Amino acid sequence: MVELEFVIGDPRVCTGCMICVNVCSMRFFKTISPARSRARVLRIEPALDFPLFCRNCEDAPCIDACPEGAIRRTKKGTVIISEAKCTGTGDCVEACPYAAIKINPDTGKAIKCIQCGECVSRCPVDALQITTREKLQETDPDGEILSLHDEHADILYGKEETP
Amino acid sequence: MKGVGGEILWIDLTEQEIDARPIEESMVRKFLLGAGFLSKVLFDHIPADADPLSSENVLGIATGLLTGSMFPQASRHLVAALSPLTGIWGESHAAGFWGPELKMAGYDAIIFKGISPEPVYLNIRDDDVALVDAKNIWGKDVFETDELLHKRHGKKCRILSIGPAGENLVRFAAIMNDRDRASARSGLGAVMGSKKVKAISVRGTGKIDVADPDNYLKEMDRFHKRMLDNPFTPERAKYGTTNLVEMMQEIGRLPSYNFRQGVFDEYEKISGQKIYDEHLVKARADWCCLQRCGRVTTVREGPYKYTGGAPEFETQSSLGSRCGNDNVESVLFGHHLANKYGMDTISLGGTISWAMEAWDEGLLTEEDTEGIDLSWGNAEAIIELTKMIAHREGFGDLLAEGSAKAAEEIGRGTEKFVMAVKKQEIAGQEPRAQKSMGLAAATAARGADHLYAFPVLDEAGFDDEIRERFGEEYLPEMTDRLNPKYKGIMVKECEDYMVVVESVGLCKYGTQIPPEFYYPAVSKAIQIHNGIELSEKQLKEIGERIVNINRLFNAMRGITRKDDSLPKRLTQQAAPTGPSKGQTVELDDMLEEYYEERGWNLESGLPTKETLRRLSLEEEMKRTGLW
Repeated sequence: MVELEFVIGDPRVCTGCMICVNVCSMRFFKTISPARSRARVLRIEPALDFPLFCRNCEDAPCIDACPEGAIRRTKKGTVIISEAKCTGTGDCVEACPYAAIKINPDTGKAIKCIQCGECVSRCPVDALQITTREKLQETDPDGEILSLHDEHADILYGKEETP
Repeated sequence: MKGVGGEILWIDLTEQEIDARPIEESMVRKFLLGAGFLSKVLFDHIPADADPLSSENVLGIATGLLTGSMFPQASRHLVAALSPLTGIWGESHAAGFWGPELKMAGYDAIIFKGISPEPVYLNIRDDDVALVDAKNIWGKDVFETDELLHKRHGKKCRILSIGPAGENLVRFAAIMNDRDRASARSGLGAVMGSKKVKAISVRGTGKIDVADPDNYLKEMDRFHKRMLDNPFTPERAKYGTTNLVEMMQEIGRLPSYNFRQGVFDEYEKISGQKIYDEHLVKARADWCCLQRCGRVTTVREGPYKYTGGAPEFETQSSLGSRCGNDNVESVLFGHHLANKYGMDTISLGGTISWAMEAWDEGLLTEEDTEGIDLSWGNAEAIIELTKMIAHREGFGDLLAEGSAKAAEEIGRGTEKFVMAVKKQEIAGQEPRAQKSMGLAAATAARGADHLYAFPVLDEAGFDDEIRERFGEEYLPEMTDRLNPKYKGIMVKECEDYMVVVESVGLCKYGTQIPPEFYYPAVSKAIQIHNGIELSEKQLKEIGERIVNINRLFNAMRGITRKDDSLPKRLTQQAAPTGPSKGQTVELDDMLEEYYEERGWNLESGLPTKETLRRLSLEEEMKRTGLW
């Protein structure tokens, strides 16, 4: 089995500038729009800024949740959504434990991060990395990045409002 | 037109009516958006004899053409009204996320007229725009308001609000957004308070479509790289603006003891290094900001304990050296309180330091202050007064009027210690150590101001940029901050450029210091973002037009050359100590050069008919009834 990659950010380093979010909507939808971005940034006072992306889960509940069979994993391990098959039921949005899938209001279809890395290379403070669970243990040996995410899970992944 | 929200919200508070009207490209071509747009709208809609706190005043909030774009630091919005502090043109700007969010909701500006019968807040959720009862929020501070409205409207909305200072009509109250961002100067928070508008919550799920989407990222990458590669960026990221204390001390430009002198012996105790070493939590950025001068700081224990938005240099100067105060924890906490209550720290410290000097001279006593000891450097008194001013309690009620009006009321010769121009307190820039700053403070449309022109090119050795922007023939005099020569030419040019920057929603960091981006970059950005072709020459003319319409606005309220002045201390008393010892500001010489360069009458200091005709402002000229 291939090592599953995902993008994660360090909330202690991220400044909250949202360049990653805007790079994403511009790259995929040629517009500036956090509501159409596959990334999001959430600021938690007093001093944490969380850039948030698809975690590319091993069990990927979004795949099973889709009634149209529109979500699958590629050979490289990336979970992707077929635009042709997606009918925008929103079941994947509900199933995602990380609130990392949303419905693009223009197309009515689900969108999520596919680890293209465009935002990672443009982050002005190098707060982002494409990594795997194993690699992350090397770059963040104390596990602080993941534990900060876990600690604030309620706020970060609450399904408050869409898009 | 691309890259904009598309509509302006006109809100009649008296009638509780909301009207959305499309923006007009012809208006944009003449005045851009932001500062220029509001300059024209407010000129047209505020009667000459209106009282700033009456229903006749108009409060405008506008984004710039590039606000919400991916250009470096394109995060800003602008607030303007007739100022309750000065009685003339009032404007103030802030970074954050509120401006981009407003565009995402489909609006470029909001214009408030009239006065609401009851406290309200404006709730914007895309097409849903409503005035909502704010009785339960009125009286809350800025942070409480932020939390309450987030709870009510979701964590993704962006909040702009006033605190108790705005509600209590403190004449230097700020309008705050995104918690710690302040449109601080000119007292516009009091205008919002007088209109009974507590806050504006915005949530926009729309998009900003750009003119050249195919090349957009590639072009923006280039601008981002330029900003990141600029040698100023790492320094700014590390210290924000806080280490200006050290730099200003070195050149004798750090106002101390109410501008008695430009050096502060205890400067290291309130320095950028001190804050970095002991109080910094992290650097923070606003929308698409690569410089990240915002920061979170903390005082871990004691009476000044807090964690939150950090001070800028201006607060270190105003609550620190200007008041002779070397207690950095009180400076940090005072800044935190000013944000919480919604007040401009420059006028706050400027007013307290005026009172401290009057106390030092024996002109104010415990009878006036109700027992508060106003000795230089009394940190406890500074904090106590900050609270009292925001709530207009006791002696704070007088200080809430600002130093000029307070001195008028008290008399006894305290007027000569008012360090203000046109009733607004001078910022933390000792002009005897940098002559261009003195001229800029004297001519700025909103009263004493370092930002309207922000003539920092002669401050830190930007000789190449001066050569590029003005020409070889002005060197070396223009680069010498103590030489008044050519400063009139420089300030005029800087004013024109800075009002353009305020009209497109960019930051002065990046456009003026460091001077990385100039007209060609702005012109290019407008082209790829908005799809409008505006050459350097056209942009320069628009800048000049905006400065002139601001001047017309002020001329209608009696402003002439006599008001373009500085306190006598700065023009007649030589700096007593430090690197600028012996210097005064040669204001008259610089003013002559400035008026001449502007095409303004040397005696009246007002634009000539020819100048107004050249700038297509004849209609406005006629309406003033002065020409």
